[in-house]
Amino acid sequence: MFSSLLRGSTIALRTASARSALRPVAAISRTSLVSPLRAYSTGLNRDDISARVIDVVKAFDKTTASAQVTADTHFAKDLGLDSLDTVELLVAIEEEFDVEIPDKVADEIKSVAEAVQYIASNPEAN
Amino acid sequence: MTGPSRTQVLALYKQTLRNANGFNNYNFKHYFLRKARTQFRDLKDLKDPAAIEKAFSAAQRELGVLKRQSVISQMYTFDKQVVEPLDGKKTQR
Repeated sequence: MFSSLLRGSTIALRTASARSALRPVAAISRTSLVSPLRAYSTGLNRDDISARVIDVVKAFDKTTASAQVTADTHFAKDLGLDSLDTVELLVAIEEEFDVEIPDKVADEIKSVAEAVQYIASNPEAN
Repeated sequence: MTGPSRTQVLALYKQTLRNANGFNNYNFKHYFLRKARTQFRDLKDLKDPAAIEKAFSAAQRELGVLKRQSVISQMYTFDKQVVEPLDGKKTQR
């Protein structure tokens, strides 16, 4: 009689523990529905970004051919680009990485380093 | 009445370029890119606020047309021109 009681209690315990084990799983799936966490790629390597940005800058037809484009190149000071040229260059960079740089941010990007910094911070860049 | 700010003009220029880039057809695309470049550059020294305002709103209307046409162009496929690279990515413009 006692044994059956004990058995009953262990079953009750087991189901209780099973339920409590299930609960966090349900909670996780619910939160993941609220904010889907997607990982398309492992993220871009900073050196790759830098190399690609430099390539885009070099391909830009208003960049003077002799100019050395490095990671610290400033668009206006080193390449002699005006604000319209800078916008064109940013559109080219946007195309390369498939992103859209918001106007407020785009206003602040004035050098290769800043462009690389923005692309690196943007999870949608690829 | 104050004219559009520098940021607004640059934003308009960027939108125009981006929508021109959306054209599927090489000839249209490069026509609109050239057109945007020369138009904005020709008017960059404009000083009179009224003239700036006028040019700005004209460019805004054109952007509207450009947006619509570039979307329409994406509904039709064209054969690629010989000068275009065949793979999707292109850094050369």
